[in-house]
Amino acid sequence: MMTVPQTSASLRRPARIAINAGLVIFIALYAAIGFLQPNYLEPGLFMNFLRRAAPLVILACGQLYVILTGGFDLSMGAVATLVVLAASILINGDPDTTWAVIGALYVMGVSIGLVNGFVVAFLKVPSIITTLGTMLLVNGLALAWSGGAARGDLPDNFRNLGRLVWRDVSVIGTLPLAAVVLAGFVALAWFGLNGTVYGKRALAVGDNPRAAELAGTPVAATRILAFVVSAVSAVTAGILLGGFSGVSVNAGEGLELQAIAACVIGGAQLLGGRGSVWSAVFGALSLFALFTLLNLLGLPQALRDSIQGVILIAAVGASMWRTRRRN
Amino acid sequence: MMAVPALSMTGISKVFPGVRALDGVDFECLSGEVHAICGENGAGKSTLMKILGGSYRPDAGTIQLAGQAVRFTHPRQAAEAGIAIIHQELSLLPHRTVAENIFMGREIARRGLLDKAGMRRKAAALLSRIGAAIDPQALVSSLSIALQQLVEIAKALLMDARILVMDEPTAALDERDSRALLGLVEGLRREGVSIIYISHRMPEVMAIADRITILKDGKKVWTRPCDAAPIDEIVRAMVGRDLKDFYPATPVSAPGEVLLAVEGGTNAGLRDLTFEVRAGEIIGVAGLEDSGKGALAQALVGDVPFTGGAVTLRGKRIALRTPRQATAAGIGYLPGDRKSEGLALRQSVRDNALLTLRSLMGLFTRPQQGALAHDVIDERLGAMDVRAADFGQEIGTLSGGNQQKAIIVRWLAQASDILVFVEPTRGIDIAAKAAIYETMRAFADSGRGIVVISSDMPELIGIADRVLVMHQGRVSGAVPRGANEEDIMHLALGLADAPRGEAGA
Repeated sequence: MMTVPQTSASLRRPARIAINAGLVIFIALYAAIGFLQPNYLEPGLFMNFLRRAAPLVILACGQLYVILTGGFDLSMGAVATLVVLAASILINGDPDTTWAVIGALYVMGVSIGLVNGFVVAFLKVPSIITTLGTMLLVNGLALAWSGGAARGDLPDNFRNLGRLVWRDVSVIGTLPLAAVVLAGFVALAWFGLNGTVYGKRALAVGDNPRAAELAGTPVAATRILAFVVSAVSAVTAGILLGGFSGVSVNAGEGLELQAIAACVIGGAQLLGGRGSVWSAVFGALSLFALFTLLNLLGLPQALRDSIQGVILIAAVGASMWRTRRRN
Repeated sequence: MMAVPALSMTGISKVFPGVRALDGVDFECLSGEVHAICGENGAGKSTLMKILGGSYRPDAGTIQLAGQAVRFTHPRQAAEAGIAIIHQELSLLPHRTVAENIFMGREIARRGLLDKAGMRRKAAALLSRIGAAIDPQALVSSLSIALQQLVEIAKALLMDARILVMDEPTAALDERDSRALLGLVEGLRREGVSIIYISHRMPEVMAIADRITILKDGKKVWTRPCDAAPIDEIVRAMVGRDLKDFYPATPVSAPGEVLLAVEGGTNAGLRDLTFEVRAGEIIGVAGLEDSGKGALAQALVGDVPFTGGAVTLRGKRIALRTPRQATAAGIGYLPGDRKSEGLALRQSVRDNALLTLRSLMGLFTRPQQGALAHDVIDERLGAMDVRAADFGQEIGTLSGGNQQKAIIVRWLAQASDILVFVEPTRGIDIAAKAAIYETMRAFADSGRGIVVISSDMPELIGIADRVLVMHQGRVSGAVPRGANEEDIMHLALGLADAPRGEAGA
């Protein structure tokens, strides 16, 4: 065959160095914290920072799965609240039942994820509506079950998951158990997306579900699994939250939006098709560093919410702008 | 005497980062003239038209309308100056009525209230002027693509367009509707409208154009009257090579054993379909727009499955209830609309080529090992001559031909037995077309089969070993290699008394 002249439009792009936007923002914000409070740069306080950031990072990793497939999971904050309340009621002060109850909490979380997934995948209800529905449903159930007020108490072996800190660890000094849980969860989330074919399927489904379906991708199963992972992350985060803040009826309030904001700050694209575990991890750390910074500056809680709103809009706006400029 | 041209563009240049899209292009169009622009994808046709339509501003050059210099900064200004552009993708609102669409943004108001009756009357007048029997109150979504195109033209005429740009207007139309559209263009020309016509379909261009301008790599090659430009020369100017060897040679060996057999395939759009595909065969499927040829493709790939009948592949009965089942059974699909049905545009070339393989393997397969490794797929992409600076780049940045080739690689990697192509070369330039035909032939010659559904008759005649012609959901006949367009048209219009449902292997 003769050589075919080709259009000259395919330009060689300069190789893009893969530095996560979230990492840069996180380093900048943490540097600012270190400037205001130099002792935050010590390993001990950094570990404590990680411990308190752990629930948000874990939630963001779960949320990322759903965002990659082109959806949202608004129910995760409610699931975390339910976990805290259910644990206190079910354990009811008896430390021997702790592990069985934790197992039951995960079963409950997986069921909520399956409900979200089936409704989105088969009834074709947009995920934002579906999970808004389950959010109200789960919140209502949790409040009704607990009688509207925190009841019971969490035994120490449950609370340790969020609270325990090993001292005199070599090199880093202290090591919170929550940081270990965090590292384990992030590693699993990373493996799911990069160590199995699931990640590529999720990206394809989020990018173009119709094309993915015609290419043989199990679109429904991919979506359902994403919601299950998200719910499992919410249960894990709920257990940690119960550990360090104890029983409260608004333990998980607003966390779903923080998780979404975290993914977007880290560079994941809303409505799917782009993002990595590192977007979720560093996005969440950035967001938490920002909250810490605002605390250090003495800003009231109400203003923190406003600033979070501004950041969510700015992050999504910036990501849309980047996409448009690229095209 | 030298008439002042209705439109004259002089020395138009436009540079995008890293690419000179247009380089000192001159173009003019007289009133009552059909001036065709030909060129490969990326030659600069659409950039030139976007400058004319006010979407882009030229870096250099001037535009004159009937001798008056104009400068557009917004598409609306161009529209008000009498320039109408009808894009390949229609811009109608599907859930509004025809009249509402025609008057979109220019509604007639009486004392601040919409004058619906007046708009209906005027819409009806416009539609009858272009010979379209469309109810102004029908919803756009209820119309066929062909009729929607007519609505789009009526909308252009409302603005009293003096210059009408038609970008691949017949790409989505079948033979019958294309002819009707060409008749309409003829009528507009007689009214003195200047028509700029962009098309990849050479016979159409030859039939309709007064003059032809060839663009290549952002430069004008030449402008000639149509009678001084034989097809061979147009193609040579566009691609720098001859038209011979355009379609691959007929295979020497006779087709092998039966690969795919459909018996009595039936669903809402198909009635009692029976045909078979043999190893090494390319089966073409022709038919008018509503003939069921699209439904046949959707049934074969499990998108809109057969509800009755039996399908066997290599002698084994297979179920085709979902695309996933069809894919796993060995039937691959190359949709006509690559962007919306074929590709995940923001994923890399590699990931798109590996999509099916990754979708059918076990969930815990490592995504970049064994058959999924970068060098394995890169080699396949290279063998298919997919051209990209880097196979890690987003597939959306590739040309249509390269995208199509990447999808072919997807199915080759899956070792599919049957490929179903729908409009395989729609919107693809002439050079890439030849490469895709070559690939199709090579795939069939390797002992597998192809079903190709197309509205482009010369394409079917050139590439297929046998053409099934469909009419009203049935196969109305089959013609062997070497048939002519009239034979096919005859069957497509249901005029033949050939026995029904017979494919004649």
